[in-house]
Amino acid sequence: MKTTKTIFQQGNHKWVAIVRDPAKPNFIVDTNEYLITHGGKGLILDPGGAEIFPAVFSALSAEFDPTSLVGIFASHQDPDICSSLALWLEFNPGMRCYVSWLWSGFIPHFGGTAETFVAIPDEGQDISLEGLMLQAVPAHYLHSSGNFNLYDKIAKVLFSGDVGAALLPAGEDGLFVENFDRHIRHAEGFHRRWMGSNEAKRRWCERVSKMDIDMLCPQHGAIYRGADVARFINWFDELQVGIV
Amino acid sequence: MTTDSLMMDEASSVLAGVDLLRIVRINEEIKRVVGVSFKINIMALNAIFLAKRAGTAARGFGVLSNELRVFSQDLRTSMEALTGLIYGCVNAVSVGLQDMRYARLLDEASALASDASVLAVLRRRQAQNAVHAATLSSLRGKLKRALEDAFQLVELGGVLAKSAKIEAAYGQAFAGALAQVSGEFDHVVEEIRDSLESLRRSAFFTANRG
Ligand SMILES: [Fe+2]
Ligand SMILES: [Fe+2]
Repeated sequence: MKTTKTIFQQGNHKWVAIVRDPAKPNFIVDTNEYLITHGGKGLILDPGGAEIFPAVFSALSAEFDPTSLVGIFASHQDPDICSSLALWLEFNPGMRCYVSWLWSGFIPHFGGTAETFVAIPDEGQDISLEGLMLQAVPAHYLHSSGNFNLYDKIAKVLFSGDVGAALLPAGEDGLFVENFDRHIRHAEGFHRRWMGSNEAKRRWCERVSKMDIDMLCPQHGAIYRGADVARFINWFDELQVGIV
Repeated sequence: MTTDSLMMDEASSVLAGVDLLRIVRINEEIKRVVGVSFKINIMALNAIFLAKRAGTAARGFGVLSNELRVFSQDLRTSMEALTGLIYGCVNAVSVGLQDMRYARLLDEASALASDASVLAVLRRRQAQNAVHAATLSSLRGKLKRALEDAFQLVELGGVLAKSAKIEAAYGQAFAGALAQVSGEFDHVVEEIRDSLESLRRSAFFTANRG
């Protein structure tokens, strides 16, 4: 079973990270899921693959009533992002799934009906969670061609999807980045190979460097905090990507 | 979840996987039979023309070749029905496989979580699965009956072909040609008969189902 860790809390506004599953088979890539709650409702970010649904669900339900989930934010279309969609919808068939317009015709292969999907335009959009305004921030080609991050300006948290992801070896898989230089070695190969465009990366770095971010939360690996956020953005800006 | 229900779940999912394989094989065989039954149609037409040319010398053969033509049309109708049912079965077995996967994942979730909502969802899913299983079992029954009907029809075709072989002997100058046509007909009908015979005995129909 996965563990949950509340990484931000202010009244009923919370960010919960659902991470690390010792029982997960090794051939399935390890993922982080995040839950944002506000006013008794919840939004789950990149809820993960169908096979890890039991682990994510059980961890989440220990923390939050799963029937109060009103939305799924899918950063992009990958199976490790949202192939569990049909299972989550069983708990609230009225749940909405926010995803790039580019993928809104593809993700239904994982489940849902015409009413389920909210197609995010390329420039992004605001998503309301019981009055809490969240912002879908464009991160196209990083790595998917229709790709979004999600920013919470109250919590100052940026969910960055595959940006910032690291494939951590056992024993070095703490929830937060503690030693940036040591950590980033596990992220370098991934970013070079998975990120498709230096130009898109340049624009992303410019965009997010203007934002007020306390925590940058990727879908794989560890969370960047405080000064490590800017450190990561600078490192990424320098890196040449899109090379095999 | 109990070990029993886990074992049952695994057993039924293995069974569904095997079912899919069986139904795919049945499908392939039926596609072959459908191809052969097209051949029969042309053969029956040839037999009719031949009988016409032989005239009074092959009156009996002529009557039989008309019957064979009717038979080949019935066979085609019967094959179309089988094709439709097979398509339905493949679909229902695939739905069943997906059902079982979701039920397994929800079951695992309910074993790990103490949340009551997952049990309610699991129950709803199981009820839905039961409906799907009933659809499959009804289709399975229909397919079995359609195969039986096709088999009976082909038995009749076999009798017609054998009678045509006998009638061919009275065809005087045309006896050789008539014997060849009726022989080929008989051969093809036997081939279809063997295929249908093995299909009737497929474990898709006979395997134990709890
Ligand atoms: Fe991805
Ligand atoms: Fe990913």
